[in-house]
Amino acid sequence: MNYVFPNELHVTWTVMIVLYPYITGLVAGAFIVSSLYHVFGREELKPISRFSLASAFVFLLFATLPLLMHLGHPERAFNIMLTPHFTSAMAGFGYIYTTYLILVALEIWFVMRCDLIKRAQESGFLPWICRIVVLFNYKDTPETREADHRVTKFLAGLGIPLACMLHGYVGFLFGSIKANPWWATPMMFIIFIFSAIVSGISVLIFHYFIVSRINGWKIDAACVRSLARYLWAFMMVAVALEMMELLSIAYEQTEATDVLGLLIRTKLFWSYVVLQFMVCSLVPFIMLAVTALFRLSDRVAYALIWLSSCMLLAQVLLMRWNVVIGGQLVSKSMRGFTSYMPGVWEKEGLITAAVIFTLPFGILYVFHRIVSLFPDVEKEGIPPHGV
Amino acid sequence: MPCNDSISRRTMIRRLAIGASGTLLLSIFPKLSFGKEDAPGASQTPAKKRPLYAYAVDTSRCIGCCACMRACRAENDVPEGRFRTWVERYRVRANGEALVDVAAQDNFVFTEPPAEDIVKAFFVPKLCNHCEKSVCSQVCPVGASYESPEGVVLVDQKRCIGCGYCVQACPYGTRFIHPETHTAGKCTLCYHRITRGELPACVLACPKGARMFGDLHDPLSHLSVFMKQRRYRVLKPEMGTHPKCYYIDLDLEVV
Amino acid sequence: MTKQNDDMKVRPDYRHAYPVLVILFVLVTAGLTVRRLLVPKSFGEYGYFRADAMDDEKAIQPRHVGRAACVECHEDIAAIHAKDVHASVECETCHGVGGKHVKDNDVPMARADAKNDCLVCHRQLDARPGSFPQVDWQKHYQFVGVNDPTTACVRCHSGHEPLYLDHDLRTARLHPLIQQCNSCHMGRTDETLKKPDTHPKIFQCDYCHADLAKSFAQGSHTKVSCTTCHLFIKETAFSGRIVRNTNPKFCLLCHRKEAFKGNAGGKESGPPTIEWPAHIKDVSKDALDPNRPCVNCHQDQIHALYTKEAHHAM
Repeated sequence: MNYVFPNELHVTWTVMIVLYPYITGLVAGAFIVSSLYHVFGREELKPISRFSLASAFVFLLFATLPLLMHLGHPERAFNIMLTPHFTSAMAGFGYIYTTYLILVALEIWFVMRCDLIKRAQESGFLPWICRIVVLFNYKDTPETREADHRVTKFLAGLGIPLACMLHGYVGFLFGSIKANPWWATPMMFIIFIFSAIVSGISVLIFHYFIVSRINGWKIDAACVRSLARYLWAFMMVAVALEMMELLSIAYEQTEATDVLGLLIRTKLFWSYVVLQFMVCSLVPFIMLAVTALFRLSDRVAYALIWLSSCMLLAQVLLMRWNVVIGGQLVSKSMRGFTSYMPGVWEKEGLITAAVIFTLPFGILYVFHRIVSLFPDVEKEGIPPHGV
Repeated sequence: MPCNDSISRRTMIRRLAIGASGTLLLSIFPKLSFGKEDAPGASQTPAKKRPLYAYAVDTSRCIGCCACMRACRAENDVPEGRFRTWVERYRVRANGEALVDVAAQDNFVFTEPPAEDIVKAFFVPKLCNHCEKSVCSQVCPVGASYESPEGVVLVDQKRCIGCGYCVQACPYGTRFIHPETHTAGKCTLCYHRITRGELPACVLACPKGARMFGDLHDPLSHLSVFMKQRRYRVLKPEMGTHPKCYYIDLDLEVV
Repeated sequence: MTKQNDDMKVRPDYRHAYPVLVILFVLVTAGLTVRRLLVPKSFGEYGYFRADAMDDEKAIQPRHVGRAACVECHEDIAAIHAKDVHASVECETCHGVGGKHVKDNDVPMARADAKNDCLVCHRQLDARPGSFPQVDWQKHYQFVGVNDPTTACVRCHSGHEPLYLDHDLRTARLHPLIQQCNSCHMGRTDETLKKPDTHPKIFQCDYCHADLAKSFAQGSHTKVSCTTCHLFIKETAFSGRIVRNTNPKFCLLCHRKEAFKGNAGGKESGPPTIEWPAHIKDVSKDALDPNRPCVNCHQDQIHALYTKEAHHAM
């Protein structure tokens, strides 16, 4: 045993390609949360709707960065839009990504236009930017607001299929590789969409709690509890889909079953079986079930929800790792495994990954400095109005 | 032309805009009609058919000297640790277990002396299968990987973005990302040689004629005749790639 | 909602969004224009790729020159090489690529005459086809009495004509194995022939050549197999070519006296050796032709001569 084709000793897709679907997943998930408010009228999510839209936008801005870090020739990246070879699942990326980026940018523009106008009246560098962004048109009337509202709703509605497309497409990118038994399944893109939503909701909860704690804001209980319920629902579907995929591999007993079984038992035992499933799926599932089904004090519930969101963030990251790296560990000779561990300082190493993942949070802060992402927030101590 | 008041200026502009954007949308895909046209020079010399190059490996002839690997490296500047072609050694034990390995280092020489419990052993040379429906070309997002009119799967080194999707898609593991050029590297069937009428370096170097190369469109070519006489199969036919690298005497163990 | 508060309903005012549409339109138009300009001219000529890429590939200069180029200057070696068992081995397989040497003769070629260079092909491996000549060099050295393990193979076997065949390999006759099968299997229903255990051992020389094998067993070459001198070149699973080699140089591979042979630790090992070409003078006053086959004198030490009668009596 353990023969790999000689070219397979070098793992081609590194931790950068783990990060790429992770970040696009955050985009899709965060966007869907904002659309739950804008399109489906979940009023309890209003406090977080701007934050989620802005999060989707900044993550989207950075979604291509790991790809550019990975490309052998990043300067040729635009070839994908110059000569997109549409027989390839990857060829659509340039156009889908650009369309989605424009859509999210437009939606943000329409959502925040009135605040941008207010900000533009002040003096300073940031208000000056605001003036350019609103295109020097400071007309803010109920009529324009109504127009903004309608356009927002339209864009948010249009954005849901696009978000699913952008991210489902990433899943398809892997799922369509027939040469790789760990990837090749039509389930892949559905699994990716659901795990994207899970990671998106998780990052919002995770970040919202931290931001609130730092600024001493009152956490909106209805909002967080609603998010937690959504998170619970979506994570159940996501994990169930992954389990079903695993089940069908085990049950179908195809020629790939042996090697994939061995992959799970050896190479991916810790990252897949123990961490992804036993720890980061089962524990949040129980915690979220408890918060949803039992009356808990806010303090306990928040702790459980925040912990769950952390663990589910890790779960989705582990899932991306196990898919992207796990799939490449299996030799196409079906006779063995290669191995991969990212370096710390190399071009596609862990430091780069950490920087790429941290940058969006920084940009989000700058964003918040320009236009508040939590316009209706209340300071801790002042009694909340609705709850 | 007198302006018709019933059609306002705004409507006109709107209509124009719709028309223009429609045209633009269509022109995103300006070359949807890209298809395989005739080969270069096909129209000038209609009598001579464009060649369709293919490859055959007679595994029973291979002696595992790996002269092909050395020749390939000398001819094509293959980087250290990457392979355009390689020779696999299969050794089946008495208990049915198959040991597979490649002499990937030290001038590609197999050195272990024969072992007691080996009941069957043979070598299998591997290389790009130059598939008729090559997945690697299919998945190239920028059209940098392509099948030449002669059926050779090649990479445009000036357009390849080095994404590695083709490396993932190839079921045979014959592609790699070149560590210096950062583009996809693979067997070109020595395109620079065969278009000059010479043999690929590996075929030239093989002392036992285990590797064969020829034109399938020429019914009298060495390869065409050989293919009619021998029974052969291809690697991983279930992948639907229709490889043009044919294997004679292929064992079940070989994938 | 319209029925009760029609007057309260706010009519949307979209005018502030028009510049956004214009900007989008301009961006898309600019993008598409740039795209038109940047797609290479030859793109799509033969398929979804840049046709000029094929020319890039064609422009690479070959480095292997091929045998024909070598023959132009080294006709003498080529003639020797073409008739012996290494005929199928390309010059550049042992000597390295010749592109530079052909352009500038002062650039030397590799020599590949160390023992390990030969063992690349001839080292005994379990995956090497059994019909291919392969040696466990230690056993081989012991057998031929070479006591210096650093001795290169080329000290005895020339790389160009390793077995000194006395006639061209290409003229070797096909051994009529298949005819032998037919002589029994055509029109006969002898049940014993269909039982594997009782099937004649047709792949062993002595089954057909029993008389020769018998006389061979009485000679002095019993440690040598038939195919050592009657080289068998396998063509298919059931047939091959036989080349009988009576070149004195071939006999001398084992029997020539060399500094690196015999007397290991004061003890005689390997086959008996002779001084060459002194041996010819020793055995005859009038100098014999050195190319005369050894078997002309030494036939009795190998096996009785082949006779038609004996062959047909089989």
